[in-house]
Amino acid sequence: MKTPAAPAGSRDLDSRGRTVLYRKVVEKIAGQVASEESFAGGSSGGFLGIGAHSDFSARPKVTVELAGNIAALSVEIGLLYPVPLRQVTEQMRRRISERVNALTGVEVRQIDITVSWLKPADETTGRRRLL
Amino acid sequence: MRQHAGALNRTWLVILGILALAGGVLILLAASGTLHAMSSATVAAESPVVPGDLHTVLEQASVTALVLMAGVLMGALGLLWILAQIPRRNPADRYRLHQDPASGTTLCDASVLGAAVENQINTLPGVVGSSALLRGTAMEPDLTMKVTVNNRADIQDVLHSINTRVIPDLSKALETPLRRTGIQLEVSGRNAVAGTTVETTGTVIY
Repeated sequence: MKTPAAPAGSRDLDSRGRTVLYRKVVEKIAGQVASEESFAGGSSGGFLGIGAHSDFSARPKVTVELAGNIAALSVEIGLLYPVPLRQVTEQMRRRISERVNALTGVEVRQIDITVSWLKPADETTGRRRLL
Repeated sequence: MRQHAGALNRTWLVILGILALAGGVLILLAASGTLHAMSSATVAAESPVVPGDLHTVLEQASVTALVLMAGVLMGALGLLWILAQIPRRNPADRYRLHQDPASGTTLCDASVLGAAVENQINTLPGVVGSSALLRGTAMEPDLTMKVTVNNRADIQDVLHSINTRVIPDLSKALETPLRRTGIQLEVSGRNAVAGTTVETTGTVIY
C-alpha cells in the first residue's frame, strides 16, 4: 500500500510546531525598547507599589491589549526634564511600534503614553555608577 | 495661588448698583412731584404710592406662591454668590500632548509638570520651599509659583534664575511659550534643607 505523499510544504509546517507568544512577552519587549531611550525611565523598588521610586535604569510599565495580531499598548513612563514632551513621546511611539513589530510580528496600532514623572538628569541616587 | 471671584463680583455689583440708583431716582421724582407733572397717570406727591387695596391682591393664592418663588430664587442666587467667594485653586487636570489620537494618546498630569518645576526651583540658592501650579491648556499654559526664600537669598538672583532657567525649561517641555506667569515670593526664617550631599570629581591620591 502506498499512501499519496503529502505536499512537502505543508508537512514541513506541521512538523515545525507552533510559537506562542504570551501577552507578557510583548509587554516586556515594549518596556525594554522604551527603557533603551536615554531620556526614559520607569519606577523601581517598593512593596506592592508603595515606596517605589523613579529610576532611569528601570523599565517603564507597559500594558498590552491584544486583539488577534494587533496590539494596543499603554505605557507609563518617566522622562528627563526638560525635554520637548511631544517630540520625544512621538519618537518613542514610532520606535516601540517598529521594534515590537520587528521582534514579535505583532502589529502595534495604538500606543497610549502617560508621563508619570519628570526628573532632571543630574539627580544621582548616591550610589556609584558604572561608566 | 488661589483665584477669587473678582469679575463676578464687579459685574453683579454694577447691576445691583444701577437697579438701586434707578429705584432711588424714581422715588425722588415721585416725592418731589416731578413724576406727576410729567405724566398725570402716576401718583401725585404726598399721596399713597399704591392707590388700590393691597390686601385683596395679596390674598390670592397665586400671588403668594409667586412671591414665595421669587424669594426662594433670590435666596438661591445669593447663596450661589456667597459660595463663589470661596477662593479656588482651579488647577489644570491633565495636559493632552498628542497630535493624532488614532495612533495613541499622550497624557501628562499638570501636577507632574508642577513637581518638576518645584524641584528645579528648590535647587536655587536661598530657596527654602516652593509650590507650582499650572492652569490653562497644554497650548496655553499658565504657571503660578510660590517661592519661599530665607534671609540669605539674593532675591534678584532667584528671580533672574527663574526667568532664565525655570520658565524656559517648562516652555521647552511643553513646546509652547507660557501665556501667563505669576511669582509670589515669601521670606521665611527656616533653613534650606535640600542639598545634603554634593557630587565631586576630586583626585584620589594613593
